[in-house]
Amino acid sequence: MTKTITKEKAITDLLNSTYKSLKSVVPINHEIAKPELLETSLKVQFGVLIGITGDVVGKLVLSGDKSVFGSIGETMYGMALDGEILASFSGELGNMIAGGLSTNIVDKGINIDITSPTIMQGDATLSGYQTALHVPVEFENVGQKDIYLLLD
Amino acid sequence: MATVLITDDAAFMRMQLKDNLTKLGYEVVGEAENGRDAVEQFQELKPDLVTMDITMPEMNGEEALKEIKQLNSNAKIIMCSAMGQQSMVLDAIQAGANDFIVKPFTPERIEEAVKKVL
Repeated sequence: MTKTITKEKAITDLLNSTYKSLKSVVPINHEIAKPELLETSLKVQFGVLIGITGDVVGKLVLSGDKSVFGSIGETMYGMALDGEILASFSGELGNMIAGGLSTNIVDKGINIDITSPTIMQGDATLSGYQTALHVPVEFENVGQKDIYLLLD
Repeated sequence: MATVLITDDAAFMRMQLKDNLTKLGYEVVGEAENGRDAVEQFQELKPDLVTMDITMPEMNGEEALKEIKQLNSNAKIIMCSAMGQQSMVLDAIQAGANDFIVKPFTPERIEEAVKKVL
């Protein structure tokens, strides 16, 4: 971290800004569970990873069943998505949530930039971060998606 | 019919923009996956309007905006990004962008921006 931002403040601001972004991007009622520390490496079957650079360095990962991403896409754009277009939408969903996060967190005095999304399909294992938080999010009538915040 | 070049690294977003613009009566003449591709297609296709994502691999949208403006200072460019920080919007407008749309967008916001610019 290039500024004097404590890890606790960075985590709080990142999480709150992510929740606010999620609410504005995804038009589905959802419940956000309490964040928990991830003690093991992160395994992802399907998901999207966005790098965070600037005052705070880390990664935002969204993972979940393909059908959950598909249902969110259908709600947002009124069309069923599958195959390559579903993967592309999932990347864009991550981009929109991370983009909203980067916009919201400026109000907390933190400036970050984001990378293009990386889409993960198959058995991906992520490790090498200092701190990892897992936040389960339950979307009404759709299913669960998991948000992971990995800080370097 | 006004012609448009769409720039976005996500195929899904290019599809959405193309659908919206076509329904509004515009002709999408090209689709670019990154800034470098957009600059090349701009020179070749000479579109009336370019939509430009910002976060893209190879060359980002801010660099592509500046290169296109150097090629043609009258080029009409609408930025279309998930990032909406005030500083980013101001930088883009100062570099010559005609408008800035924050994703996710509505068809109405696209129509408003395009009608204002063309």
